[in-house]
Amino acid sequence: MAAESVSNFEALEIQAAKLLDTFKTAGYEPVAPSILQPAGVFLDRIGEALRGRSYVFTDLSGEELCLRPDLTVPVSLLYLSRHPEADKEARYCYNGPAFRYQPGGASQTHPREFRQAGIESFGIADREAADIEMVLLASAAIRQTGLDDIQLRFGDIAMFFALLDALEIPDRWRRKLRHYFWRPEIFHRMLRRLSRGERPEAESNIADFARALDLDDFDTAQAQVDAYLKERELPLIGNRTLAEITSQLLDFAADLVADPLPKEIATVIEYYLAVSGTPEESIGRIAMIARGAGLDLDEALQRMVRRFERLEEEGIDLARARFAADFGRNLEYYTGLVFQIEIPTLGEGSPLAGGGRYDGLLKHLGAPQDVPAIGCAIHTERLLAVVQGLR
Amino acid sequence: MAKTKLSIAIPSKGRLMEATATLFERADLGLRKVGHERGYRGALDAYDDVEVVFLSASEIVHHLKAGQVHLGVTGEDLVRETIYDVEREVELVVPLAFGRADVIVAVPACWIDVTGVGDLEDVAAQFAQVHGRRLRVATKYLNLTRRFFAQKGVSGYRIVESAGATEGTPAAGTAELIVDITTTGTTLRANHLKVLDDGLILSSQAQLVAAHNAEWSPEVKARSDEIIARIKDAL
Repeated sequence: MAAESVSNFEALEIQAAKLLDTFKTAGYEPVAPSILQPAGVFLDRIGEALRGRSYVFTDLSGEELCLRPDLTVPVSLLYLSRHPEADKEARYCYNGPAFRYQPGGASQTHPREFRQAGIESFGIADREAADIEMVLLASAAIRQTGLDDIQLRFGDIAMFFALLDALEIPDRWRRKLRHYFWRPEIFHRMLRRLSRGERPEAESNIADFARALDLDDFDTAQAQVDAYLKERELPLIGNRTLAEITSQLLDFAADLVADPLPKEIATVIEYYLAVSGTPEESIGRIAMIARGAGLDLDEALQRMVRRFERLEEEGIDLARARFAADFGRNLEYYTGLVFQIEIPTLGEGSPLAGGGRYDGLLKHLGAPQDVPAIGCAIHTERLLAVVQGLR
Repeated sequence: MAKTKLSIAIPSKGRLMEATATLFERADLGLRKVGHERGYRGALDAYDDVEVVFLSASEIVHHLKAGQVHLGVTGEDLVRETIYDVEREVELVVPLAFGRADVIVAVPACWIDVTGVGDLEDVAAQFAQVHGRRLRVATKYLNLTRRFFAQKGVSGYRIVESAGATEGTPAAGTAELIVDITTTGTTLRANHLKVLDDGLILSSQAQLVAAHNAEWSPEVKARSDEIIARIKDAL
């Protein structure tokens, strides 16, 4: 086990001070969210993949805690403790440690303890302006360390959701495809299955029961499910309601008789997710796909166009930037713009910074309503290593 | 000081201990305790240069991993749960045909809309929408669960650690589903649970396990080979 949490402590502190200075000057208030976090509420949001890499333990009073594996959730909780109604604008910046177990063993490039410097903004209703502000400030903070050769990578979850909304498909498929965006393997498997019209387990007992359900009247169907369970003496345990079970069965029953997903629609989805290139090329491609399929994506497309125009006006070199439609940074709470700041030598897998919009997260953490929120974190050790490598 | 004696870890309680004792008897090894009745040291009548330690099945895995014993009898489920890279740390030398148990995924029997592991992700999506949180899986097999679900593409869940009476957690409302061991399925049925069609994670049994990290002198290796051969013959 490493005896030092970081080898270049002094240089790292100087760099952090500069980053925080940049953030403060831009109007971001420095905050220090707790390093020890309540495990339950926190881990419920980030999922088992990151939970599996979090240091979780029980303290002497029996409370389940974790060492924060990331700072977005802790800063969001900090905002909510200061503004329980979640009705105020706030801009925060931070610099501090985060902790992750490294399954292959900790190493220089994958330390189990690392420092993140970042910014998060909450409650800013003008989302487009907040998006621009975030990308510009993160880029400026990295640039002021002397690093000029940076590349931006963009994705847009809202664009994908807009595409799904515009397609003529049953709601139950739309819901699943949204959910599976972050699980490409299942996503493509499901798309193939739907377009081939394959019906899983069409022969099972439960399929016979599902076929007998009243597809047009939910209450009748629910009563049928209730009777089925009572007859077999199956008590309702496991926290799912009769309505939830009924609605899944109705989806299943509808799939049993549904026409296959039209090939053209499956193709549109596949084509969209394959879009990748400079922002300009990507916008052109998406517009072409929409036109070809007769879809109205104007609103989402215009938003993208305006975003990149603004960034270009502000001096971001978009000819070197990449957009990829399937890029979602692997964090399910994102709802809109996602981006990474990279350098050519390290590439997509080791970004210097990454962030995105997460408008749904705060409600899940206890806010009374959805709150516009966007943030970005810098890998400070990685940044320092790159900057020192330049000299 | 270098260890010169072969050391073997034997389960100290329960059915695993009884079955191991019977097996060693059939192999004519003369397994016995030394010293205090409740002590944890033992010996073999057949070889006076062999050390025996009695430990709990889960401690045996840790001792094997650390190379503190050369051989050990323990459950395969514990080995695969506790050791991240099984092949690198230990070798499963002889499957012993007792201590059989399946590690499985079980859900409430009333979830008639769920038959396979693939359905879980759909339910997880629906559950998150309705209840604002992830499905909770009660288990003591954290790593086996994570690996299995990752393989199957299930991710909308979180684990709640459960030390005992795992099968009661869905009825108690502290979890929605479980990953646990079962032999006959009776306990599962009594708790109104059902095993998913493709929910078998591991078919486990007791194993004689060798530790790669222990110090293997030629003498120790030779003695170990003899004992392994006698156990194989006795099966």
